[in-house]
Amino acid sequence: MRGKPRETANVGAGLWKATGMWAWVLFRISGLVLVLYLFVHIGVISTGRFGEQGNTLNSIMKMFENPIAVLLDLLLVWAVLYHALNGVRIVLMDFGLGIKQHKWVFWTCMAIAVICLVFFAFAAFDYLLNGQGVK
Amino acid sequence: MKAATVATHKGGMWAWLFQRITAVLIIVTLGTHLVFTHILSIGEIDYANIGGRVAHGAYTAVDLILLAAGIYHALNGLRMVLMDYWFGRRKLAVGLNIVLWIFGLAAAAYGAWALWPWIGYQVG
Repeated sequence: MRGKPRETANVGAGLWKATGMWAWVLFRISGLVLVLYLFVHIGVISTGRFGEQGNTLNSIMKMFENPIAVLLDLLLVWAVLYHALNGVRIVLMDFGLGIKQHKWVFWTCMAIAVICLVFFAFAAFDYLLNGQGVK
Repeated sequence: MKAATVATHKGGMWAWLFQRITAVLIIVTLGTHLVFTHILSIGEIDYANIGGRVAHGAYTAVDLILLAAGIYHALNGLRMVLMDYWFGRRKLAVGLNIVLWIFGLAAAAYGAWALWPWIGYQVG
């Protein structure tokens, strides 16, 4: 980007070479995944109102007690963290912060996202290995 | 060309602003939601376990704010994506807005209805 005229650097094919553009593509994909999850989640939790004393909800929750579901959950947490931390970068840029250093800000945000992910990964693997949540 | 390519404001000024406001609300409330559900809480999630959390008034407030802000943010985000590809024309965009508002308000009401029995839930 440095050296190219500012007006043309982010236009056309040049757009797709930039970190910021891939950040944007992943932002969209993670956003769409989260939209889908949100409404599935509302639907699943609402089953608490059906059946005796939450029986329907409890039997659905039993279905999620397997390693594949736990790993998918972890993937979902990554989608949330990526979307949240890249979103922080976008809001900062809206305030005029870190526009020139946006790549550095992006990788700093990703580092924070990974650190947060470690806590959830710890909880997930503790559950998978010991069959227990973190007390 | 450049402005058209990277525009984030074409969904309207208020939608843009509310997308930022809900983003900040979601970071706080979803952070709380996830940490309480998966880090601080116990392993097995079931009806009683959810009730134990939602029974606390402050946690109920967190979940309800998350519900409303999440639905707004999700549907406005979806709207921005749809407008980029298929709903660019004004008439279609207006129709899309109406459909999304009806769907969003219904989903928020349904979600609040779903949480209702847990408010004030007695554990055990």
